[in-house]
Amino acid sequence: MLLQTLNGLVYGGLLYILAVGLVLIFGLRRVVNFAHGSLFMVGAYVGYAIATHFGNFWLGLVVSVVVLAVLGVFLDAVVFRPLQREDPIVTVLVTFGILLVLEDAVRTIWGKDFLSLKPPAALAGTVQILGESFPTYRLFVIALAAAVAIGLSLWLRMSRIGLFVRASSVDRTTTAILGVNTDRVSVLVVAAAGVSGRVSAPVLALSPCMGRLILIDSFIVVVVGGLGSFSGAFFAALIIGQLHNFGVVYLPWAATMIPFLLMVGILIWRPSGFAGQHV
Amino acid sequence: MQARMWTRGLIGVGAAAAFAVQAPALAQETIKIGVPTALSGTYADLGNQAKRAVEFAVNEVNAKGGIGGRKLEVKVLDTEAKPDVARKQAEKLALEGYKILTGTIASGEGLAMAPMLERWDALYVVTINKADALTGANCVPRVFRVNHPDEQDAAIVRPWLGTRKETKWAIVAADIAWGRNSGKSFAAAAKANGKELVGEFYPAFGTNDFAPYIQQVKNSGAQGVWIALAGRDAINFATQAKQFGLLDSTFVAGVSFVTDNTVKTLGDTSKGIWGIINYSSTLDTPANKRFVEAWKKAYNGDEPTNFEGETYIGMQVIIQAIERAKSAKPLDVARAMSGGTFDTLYGKSQIRAADHQMVQPNYFGYVGAQGGKLRPIITTTFAADQATPPPSGECKMPKL
Repeated sequence: MLLQTLNGLVYGGLLYILAVGLVLIFGLRRVVNFAHGSLFMVGAYVGYAIATHFGNFWLGLVVSVVVLAVLGVFLDAVVFRPLQREDPIVTVLVTFGILLVLEDAVRTIWGKDFLSLKPPAALAGTVQILGESFPTYRLFVIALAAAVAIGLSLWLRMSRIGLFVRASSVDRTTTAILGVNTDRVSVLVVAAAGVSGRVSAPVLALSPCMGRLILIDSFIVVVVGGLGSFSGAFFAALIIGQLHNFGVVYLPWAATMIPFLLMVGILIWRPSGFAGQHV
Repeated sequence: MQARMWTRGLIGVGAAAAFAVQAPALAQETIKIGVPTALSGTYADLGNQAKRAVEFAVNEVNAKGGIGGRKLEVKVLDTEAKPDVARKQAEKLALEGYKILTGTIASGEGLAMAPMLERWDALYVVTINKADALTGANCVPRVFRVNHPDEQDAAIVRPWLGTRKETKWAIVAADIAWGRNSGKSFAAAAKANGKELVGEFYPAFGTNDFAPYIQQVKNSGAQGVWIALAGRDAINFATQAKQFGLLDSTFVAGVSFVTDNTVKTLGDTSKGIWGIINYSSTLDTPANKRFVEAWKKAYNGDEPTNFEGETYIGMQVIIQAIERAKSAKPLDVARAMSGGTFDTLYGKSQIRAADHQMVQPNYFGYVGAQGGKLRPIITTTFAADQATPPPSGECKMPKL
């Protein structure tokens, strides 16, 4: 039971780190970013390439964050900023196009084979919990997700940019009139996607479509939590992680359906998500 | 006026050229092999393997002067592993004279091509499709299969399970028709062998996190686990099961699991996993040893994968059937194939007239190090008669 709860935390944690990027970019630019999944995937591949070439897991993590941050600046300048004035359907189409381009680029560079990466030696073993072995790396994922959650909420509450981001996600027009510049945030958004991709690499098989496959779950997190809400995404990710796990254990025939049912329920009961304040 | 003269002139030159080319061509026209296979998309890697195997066989024959003085010629077109595209590309190949088709990847593609073969006056030799229907309910006179369909894999599970000492088993299989079928036949085999089934799990196709399933398998007290997962699911499961210690504490075996591709992706993680092996470069027959040596020479020391070996067997059958028919006309070749016995990498193998399925041995083994390299290693051989169930009776084969 405890172990299954921990497993739920791991998957919820991965979803949370991924969903945070979606929430940030939506709060800031009102862009529903379909390309986010492919950034997750690029982060995983860049990390893989560095880690296998230099034999150092942590170097791979750092480099993938840096590469993705640079990509973030670029995407924000040429895609997200021009798109914020466009019709939402345009942004969906353009970001989905980016997803396809990045998937094909990765396919060209790394090929179509599935790849897999081992956790770093220090985290490769198992820890005894209640007489059963639990992978150390999974505990690391939980710790990292918690660190991101704490770091992000501190940053949003304490820092000047954090204040701007919060202001912008509540009322973008007024915030812009007041002359607030939130451009640097996009770096963080894309870097967050890279981190989650890189961190998930020892758990999930690397393939060009890996981003697409996890994007749906993280969109459910964002919708259930409330578009643009950080705390909402946090709780939604925790809940969906647990539902995913206990669904498999107690209602296996309905396991894949449960998160979707939750989303449908939330959309009927509170269309703005359980922490969203506006539709 | 001038334009018309030009046209006439061109037609004249064209006709002369055509005539000039035709005369020697009649004497030794090439034999054309068409390969409609996946060169892009999820299965592109497999398509490339099929292509390499066909090209290897063709070069081998051409180096010996061809078949009866006629050289072989190959054309490969991309199907993206999609049934509708495969049908279109196969038709294009057939219209261009490449009427002997082989090397297609997905079963859906084969099933889309099969009903059209008569109209195209073509022939399809299956080397990778595993759907039972191709030699069962949907069988047609111009389709021949040299690889193992699902039912052949299922047939050897029962005798193999009898040799295992583990008494408590769990099943983890993909929640799609193939996985469910495999799970069902394993459950029947377990019952027949007096084994206890302590858990049956069917994760959705494309599952990211297998942790809840792995945890339940551990809790079930299973001593052995039967896995029917493929592609990304197989990689995800094995990676995560390794991290949970399941691969080390429990005996793990499966279908479609011990393949060269999985070994390449998983590396050390795949070590010690057991499973059905349809073909392996370690196969101990004189024909296979010769083949592997020649292959290594042609491809920089690479060893042939299971799909490459199986597609090469398809080419062996095609070449021998053309030799026997003394003709490369699809209908003549098909008549030579039906009921014929051929020299393959497995030894002598017969293609049954009743359903056009080749009767060949099947193997069990594990992933281990041999010659300093991880690879599928065969431990148990099931002879052709034991490994091949009789024709299902669903196939009503019309006369050729």
